Amino acid sequence: MIYSELLRESWRAMRVNRMRTILTMLGMVIGVGAVIAMLAIGNGARQSVNAIISSMGSNMLIVISGARTSGGLRFATGSTPTLHLSDADAIRELPGVAAVAPGSPGTAQIVYGANNWSTMVLGTNPAYLRIRDWQLKSGAGFSGSDMRSAARVAILGQTVANNLFGSINPVGQTIRISNSPYQVIGLLTPKGQSFGGQDQDDIVLVPVTTAQRKLFGAQFADTVRYIMVQTDGPELLSPVQEEMDALLRQRHHITGSQDPDFDIRNLTELANAAASTTRIMSLLLGLIASISLVVGGIGIMNIMLVSVTERTREVGLRMAVGAEPADILGQFLTEAVLVSTLGCLAGLLLGMLCVAMVNQLFHMHGVITFASVLIAITVSVAVGTFFGLYPARKASLLQPIEALRHE
Amino acid sequence: MDVPLIHTVHMGKRYQLLSGDLHALTDVNVNVQEGEFIAVMGPSGSGKSTFMNLLGCLDVPSEGDYYLSGRVVKSMTLKERAHLRNALIGFVFQGYNLLPRLNCVENVALPLVYAGIPTRERREQAREKLVDVGLERYTEFLPPQLSGGQQQRVAIARALVNNASLLLADEPTGNLDSRTSDEIIAIFERLNRERRLTIVLVTHEPDVARHARRLIRFHDGCVVEDGPVSPSPPLRQALP
Ligand SMILES: Nc1ncnc2c1ncn2[C@@H]1O[C@H](COP(=O)(O)OP(=O)(O)OP(=O)(O)O)[C@@H](O)[C@H]1O
Ligand SMILES: [Mg+2]
Repeated sequence: MIYSELLRESWRAMRVNRMRTILTMLGMVIGVGAVIAMLAIGNGARQSVNAIISSMGSNMLIVISGARTSGGLRFATGSTPTLHLSDADAIRELPGVAAVAPGSPGTAQIVYGANNWSTMVLGTNPAYLRIRDWQLKSGAGFSGSDMRSAARVAILGQTVANNLFGSINPVGQTIRISNSPYQVIGLLTPKGQSFGGQDQDDIVLVPVTTAQRKLFGAQFADTVRYIMVQTDGPELLSPVQEEMDALLRQRHHITGSQDPDFDIRNLTELANAAASTTRIMSLLLGLIASISLVVGGIGIMNIMLVSVTERTREVGLRMAVGAEPADILGQFLTEAVLVSTLGCLAGLLLGMLCVAMVNQLFHMHGVITFASVLIAITVSVAVGTFFGLYPARKASLLQPIEALRHE
Repeated sequence: MDVPLIHTVHMGKRYQLLSGDLHALTDVNVNVQEGEFIAVMGPSGSGKSTFMNLLGCLDVPSEGDYYLSGRVVKSMTLKERAHLRNALIGFVFQGYNLLPRLNCVENVALPLVYAGIPTRERREQAREKLVDVGLERYTEFLPPQLSGGQQQRVAIARALVNNASLLLADEPTGNLDSRTSDEIIAIFERLNRERRLTIVLVTHEPDVARHARRLIRFHDGCVVEDGPVSPSPPLRQALP
């Protein structure tokens, strides 16, 4: 039988039972729409996680000060500062360490003119920007003399700058942090949200020495809350972690069985874990969506079976005038594949619409890739073939006389 | 002598039922030469339709053999039988069996679809056959828009469209009034006369059977009579 004839026949059969065809297709439309949307949204989520990871800085270890247990009581890590700047200096000497930045965070009220803003002030050193892979939008970083002299200088994050200065360039202006004047020497490029959904740009950086001696003096005599360490490469993360552990145990006089008064975390590992969680999530979403595709396929099979029964006499007649079993098989198979393919195309449109809406509503960057479109089309043709095969075979195996006699 | 178009040797058909075997047809030995016009008669349930289905290669005999144009039908594949039905045989049924969604031309052209003939030629040939049966004005009509007689004429056109050499009609006038029935029979007679088309026609009405030249009568699955139709004199006889 000529192929165009098969298509025309199928189209005619579909048009006769228009409502039924549309409802059958709907299963495919929803299935394909869901798969396309889920793949795109999963992709988008993965991309934003990756963006956050790269904004965090790479090959990073972080040492957090504070005993895990103290006198049988377990405190939150970081609650009592036990790390010193000298620890940071010692870590810097370890092989494989690229950069070390101490961190002394605190909250302070910042005032510029009539505007004020409460934010995190982080005492750190010039290496911090390098570790976090954070560029300055304008101005300069801390100099060596700023560090030594505990100068009252500050670098602003974009959010702080926006709230205090609006569109004015803050570099060179003087702000008051906890009522002391600080000169703004730099403005950071925006970084966006962190894992926890915090605004990373809501921050003011000051030299760690300034933070210790002048800003949070009483609280942080000579101690720092944490130390960020960047290694020369990802493969050095665990050896450096071990060496750091040994070094700090020795410096803090902690014997083997004692709990250390610090905690080393591999941030890169955590980030990768988060990334793989996202990957698994999007895979799961895709899988759940595929189930609806299968359900759509079963819908096609169901309707094709009904259609074969309804058209038994027609099949008998076609066989009587010369249709081979293969012709009948082709006819019903074409119909099933046509329904699933048209459903797939409509599903693509629906998926695109969903992705556009989700992107709008949740500020995501879901993208429909060419690969996912290709997968959707391939899968729906396969679904149509698979679920159409049984009914079509059933029709093709009918005995001509039995079929003709069918009422 | 030519190879007979139809040649059956002890042909029988048995249906296996729960209550035992049912012999719908037993020991049928019939020869049909090309150009014959045969009426098949017999009481209801005597095996006429079974006989026609076997002749039309819609079914295969369970006993004996059936030779169509000298070829054994039983040993053919489904595909070969489909080709045979397509190229050699035209069917006319009591219930017309037109596809209600297709218009007359498309219905008539259906066998040509399976012969792999392109659309335009199909339509042309189908239209010719519709002219043959006097339906040139109804080419685009759908079957439900036609009278019974007209529908049967469309079915005849469909049976003719592949230039079949054997026309099998199972009670083609069973659903028609006598006037319409006469028209249909007139078409059969003309086709037999003008084109030497071999026709086997099942009927319950002696009036219809009268137009044939040979009569085969069935009773309980057996041929009980095979001879010229009386009273009109036989033109040619092809008894075994
Ligand atoms: N598929 C079948 N299964 C079982 N028995 C069948 C089948 N087809 C026909 N028969 C039986 O075979 C016998 C002959 O049937 P057939 O249809 O050939 O009769 P018929 O002469 O055409 O009768 P009618 O004049 O009523 O059409 C009947 O007894 C019928 O019950
Ligand atoms: Mg019958």
